[in-house]
Amino acid sequence: MTSLRTEGLTKSFGGVPAVHDATVELREGRINGLIGPNGSGKTTFFNLVTGMIRPDSGLVLYRGRDLTRHAPHRIAHAGIGRTFQLCRVFPRLTVLENMLVAVRRTRLRELLAGLHDRGEAERARHWLRRMGIEHLEHAEARDLSYGQQKLLELAAVLMAEPDLVLLDEPAGGVNPALIDRIVTLVRELNAEGRTFLVVEHNMDMVMGMCDHVIVFDRGAPIAAGPPSAIKEDPRVLEAYLGV
Amino acid sequence: MRTASRGLPLLAAALAIAYPWLVPNYYLVYAGALTVMYAAMATSWNLLGGFTGYVSLGHSAFFGLGAYGTGLLVTRLDVPWALALPVSALLVTVFAVGVGVAAVRVRGASFVIVSIALVSMMNLVVQGWRSLTGGSTGLQVPSPFPDLHRGQTHMVFFHLFLVLLGLALLSWWYVSRSRFGAGLRAIREDEDKAESLGVPTAAYKVAAFALSALFVALAGGLYALWFGSLDPIFMFSILIGSYMVLMSLLGGVRHLYGPLLGALIVAPAGEYFLIALGETQVHLAATGVLLILVVLFMPEGILSRLTRRRPGPSIPEESAGQRLEGAAR
Repeated sequence: MTSLRTEGLTKSFGGVPAVHDATVELREGRINGLIGPNGSGKTTFFNLVTGMIRPDSGLVLYRGRDLTRHAPHRIAHAGIGRTFQLCRVFPRLTVLENMLVAVRRTRLRELLAGLHDRGEAERARHWLRRMGIEHLEHAEARDLSYGQQKLLELAAVLMAEPDLVLLDEPAGGVNPALIDRIVTLVRELNAEGRTFLVVEHNMDMVMGMCDHVIVFDRGAPIAAGPPSAIKEDPRVLEAYLGV
Repeated sequence: MRTASRGLPLLAAALAIAYPWLVPNYYLVYAGALTVMYAAMATSWNLLGGFTGYVSLGHSAFFGLGAYGTGLLVTRLDVPWALALPVSALLVTVFAVGVGVAAVRVRGASFVIVSIALVSMMNLVVQGWRSLTGGSTGLQVPSPFPDLHRGQTHMVFFHLFLVLLGLALLSWWYVSRSRFGAGLRAIREDEDKAESLGVPTAAYKVAAFALSALFVALAGGLYALWFGSLDPIFMFSILIGSYMVLMSLLGGVRHLYGPLLGALIVAPAGEYFLIALGETQVHLAATGVLLILVVLFMPEGILSRLTRRRPGPSIPEESAGQRLEGAAR
């Protein structure tokens, strides 16, 4: 079953195409990698899928539903969560508050209720426990180390209960032990049914973790397939590795 | 500590209620009422500015509209003042929702400029609509308490403004502990991130904008009934909006009592300059200088300075082993 499908997605900035005619398909239950040289349009593609920027043309379909030009919060409600290239948390909110912001509320009564609802707080603690940062729940996020902030960012995304998680450079700026931890977490979460799309420059991580890899060059996908095939693809070697 | 934190506000409230009987003359009652009015407005402003970080210099538009709405309902339609006041405030709130939908689409300096444009436009509309508002000659509103002398009227309005301040503080406290408040604070911290986590940021901002406008409009309505003479130049003055910003920043926008503390300093200081120097522009210059000093040297406000955390990270960097150990538990 198809999770995410983009059709002819195009976005230019000042006449320079960042993403051009990108047609990508992700299947449910896979860990997908998205790789490409710097400036190949990977993060712009993320921003287009999650509604942070609007495409000039093309479609974003999630489980057959057209989400093109929807507001980011509606896309989050539809089940797509994301992290950012440069880790983003709410620095002056506590770790627990960072988590509770991600709970969807629609009714006025829910909005005006106290923040620390016992059930939601317990669910937040569950995710913090899985990340190994539950002991920091009362700390302000700005006091956490960069690695801890990365884990908090991922935990907050999971609190919103997404089925498709977009990770933008999860290994960027973190130590090798934490990279291993993130890989393990992604595999566990994938085994629980979540689909992933991971932008990453760490090739060992991508090739070791992903079931399917998409390669972008100059704003468009040039190859897609299992890691073993991608490693040998001459178009990838030429565009990405420069050989 | 908990007893003190509960007892002090109660003691302060009791002293505030008793204030008109504790001071030696009616002028100090008048100055007190003016201060409490500004405290209520600054606290209301902080429902938007403090939670979301959106700085509106044009909140006096809602002050003026609340005042003119109340005045017009009383003088043109003979609506009893106790009904005119909430009806006018609700109409202004509905108007604020419309304005908010457009205004909160822009951020930062652009939002500040939009808010200034709003108050300038309202000023022009009220001055231009002479047949309804009296134009630049102003609008006279009859006193709701004609049997009381001026000093007694100051006492009544001191307490009415105190009730409004109490309501504004209660609202701020209630929002601060709610899920809605957490969403607003997330907007202040990182709006795009909040949106990506599913917070409907535009709706939240418009709601905060409207709630903030409601209380400012009530203050404007009370002012109209208190003073009885509305001058559009004053009612739609950017200076009033600037006072709300200055008081909130000075006291501390992240604190419930921050704007109140700021009002207790700025409003009496303004009155002092007026008495000591007469109707000069010195108080305007002093306001400007104070605003610059606060922004440069104390952007977090007095209360944040008093409750400042120790500098530097308070949580040591964990080793990878410790982290993995925590994750395995």
